[in-house]
Amino acid sequence: MTARPLRSAQPVRTGFRVVGGRSSRRPNVGPFVAFTIVVVASMLGIVLARTSLDAGAFELADIGRRIAEEQERSQLLQLEVAELSSPTRIGPLAEELGLVYPEERQVLFVEGLDDTPDLMVESDAGVAMGGQP
Amino acid sequence: MAALKAARRLDPPRLRIIGLAVLMSAVWIGMGFRLFTVQVVHAAEYTQQGIDQRVREEKLQPTRGRILDRNGDPLALSIDGVTLYAVPQELDDPVWVAQQVAILTGANVDRLRSGLADAIADGTGFVYLARQLDPEVAQAVIDADIGGVYSVKEPKRMYPTGQVGAQVVGVADIDGNGLEGLERVYDDVLVGTAGRLLYERGARGGPNIPQGPVEKIPAIPGDDLVTTIDTPLQFAATEACQKAVDTTGAASCWVVAYQPETGEILALTGVPSYDPVARTVVGGGTFSNAVVREQYEPGSTQKLITLAAALETGAVDLDTVIGNVGDKIEINEGACRSDDDDIRGCFGDSEKHETRDMTVQEIFTRSSNVGTIKIASLLPEGAIDLYMQRFGYGRPTGVDFNGEASGQISVDPSCSTCLASAAIGYSVAVTPLQLAAAYGAVANDGVWVEPHLVSDVGGDRVDVESKQVISENTARVLRILLEKVVEEGTGTEAQVSGYTVGGKTGTSSKLLPDGTYADDDNIASFVGMAPIDDPKVVVAVVLDSPDFSLRFGGLAAAPVFSEVMQTALQRMGVTPDAVPG
Repeated sequence: MTARPLRSAQPVRTGFRVVGGRSSRRPNVGPFVAFTIVVVASMLGIVLARTSLDAGAFELADIGRRIAEEQERSQLLQLEVAELSSPTRIGPLAEELGLVYPEERQVLFVEGLDDTPDLMVESDAGVAMGGQP
Repeated sequence: MAALKAARRLDPPRLRIIGLAVLMSAVWIGMGFRLFTVQVVHAAEYTQQGIDQRVREEKLQPTRGRILDRNGDPLALSIDGVTLYAVPQELDDPVWVAQQVAILTGANVDRLRSGLADAIADGTGFVYLARQLDPEVAQAVIDADIGGVYSVKEPKRMYPTGQVGAQVVGVADIDGNGLEGLERVYDDVLVGTAGRLLYERGARGGPNIPQGPVEKIPAIPGDDLVTTIDTPLQFAATEACQKAVDTTGAASCWVVAYQPETGEILALTGVPSYDPVARTVVGGGTFSNAVVREQYEPGSTQKLITLAAALETGAVDLDTVIGNVGDKIEINEGACRSDDDDIRGCFGDSEKHETRDMTVQEIFTRSSNVGTIKIASLLPEGAIDLYMQRFGYGRPTGVDFNGEASGQISVDPSCSTCLASAAIGYSVAVTPLQLAAAYGAVANDGVWVEPHLVSDVGGDRVDVESKQVISENTARVLRILLEKVVEEGTGTEAQVSGYTVGGKTGTSSKLLPDGTYADDDNIASFVGMAPIDDPKVVVAVVLDSPDFSLRFGGLAAAPVFSEVMQTALQRMGVTPDAVPG
């Protein structure tokens, strides 16, 4: 028989030692966080900008609609003014109220002025005044 | 050992993995192929389909230009109306829809119902329910939210002065195409240019997508027209005409007021007329404009041209005495013997008088046909024809109105009676406007100016033609004669208080279809000007078929002239020149 040394059943503990893990260093997450922040901020910025632009566009569309409405209103008012000031409306109305056309043109001479009709001034009422200053 | 290895390689899990890999690869290849097909092969087609689904195109209607009077007041303008239409296939109950729309808009329910029924039967995808409604009326239908009923804005043409301006402005159809008058003549400048709007819209016609691609080509509005018409004068002339029709029983009355120095037509109107808004004739009128289109034998108003020719050629002067002026004259022997024979060439005055010598002035003032024919016989051959042409007879005046008549000159040298006829206003046909322009030349020191209705198109002044047709001196002499007619002749009813007026009466028998003249059917007219020394306005009045007792121009037309001229002079701010002492 050959003698051979007995294998030790228990490893000999030689005291505490540092056991290495997967990585002995802490992961450097700074750039990732920064990148993420930049991306998220950019996305938020884009969303905000887009929202703001859209809000502006809606506002613009609303203003455009209001302009169109006001133009429409202006057209209607122009028509109303034209119809109200038309002689076809005023003539019969004036007649109803007792206004009449002058029988004939009347010429008035201003007292103290020469009779020579060098100066003729026409009034709105269809009356002409004559004389020389 | 190798078999064991192969068996191990093809054990079920490995087989599944391989199968899955193949399947996945096939899916990816399929997707890739599909992607390639969609993105590359059919890219353009699908892109277009996408655009078609979300991008809408809208035609932007241009606003039709306004037609303004000389004071800037609108005679025609466009406003936004609202048109309602239906997509028949989307209507649940067309009869109910027709009833609802009729109740809310006042439209005819039977017409709506039959319109919808026809559209459904024909498979039409679009039918008008009501066009160019007032926005408030249309809003009631829009608020009712009837499925399958939609609205769209559409310009609506309005005429604030109604019938008063109709004869000048004319009318445009419901689609905004000019049909008559200035609306037609200037249609190309009034209509403007349509624009285009492209925009993205949400599904099912939702709101516009903001920031979506938009392309807008704005509509270019039509140019405004500034006319020479004075609306208050136009109204006064229409009223005077209506009064004349009522009092004389005339079939129609037509007036034109014209500025001889500029050719501007201040008023051009008549009754009966038409309503341009309803597009219907009123009081038996037509859509035609007699001042520009109706030609008639002018009668004694023509004597001014005869005398102009006589004075210009030196055949006579004012004091020339024409001997033996009776109340009848025979051009062909025996013509005056009997009315029943076929011998033509008997001309007479309207009233009997003894035969005597008369000066040219007296002949004109008394409107003697016999005397005028005797004056015409002193003229060189072709002189009347020449002067009629010079005064613008026989061709359109060039006024900016559609369908202008040219009139007729038919002085046939082989016709023994034509010269005599033409001298007193027969065998010749003119329009009231031609006559007014001819008198305008006398008023304007012998310069004929092309009459026109529009002075400014989109800010550009309109040029007009003018020409010297008689000498300044002859024009002045003719004005003296015209003044005498109003002072003491046949036209005393034409006097205007405060102004010196000159003019000429005209009474012509109407030509019957058989070539003879009616005994009891006349055209009464008066053409004149004021103030006579430097006329600012010429007015021509024509009444068709007045009552026989009022058939003379001096009785039927001269009072209308007086009213219109008085208003015209006041409107133009002309200083009175005949102030009583």
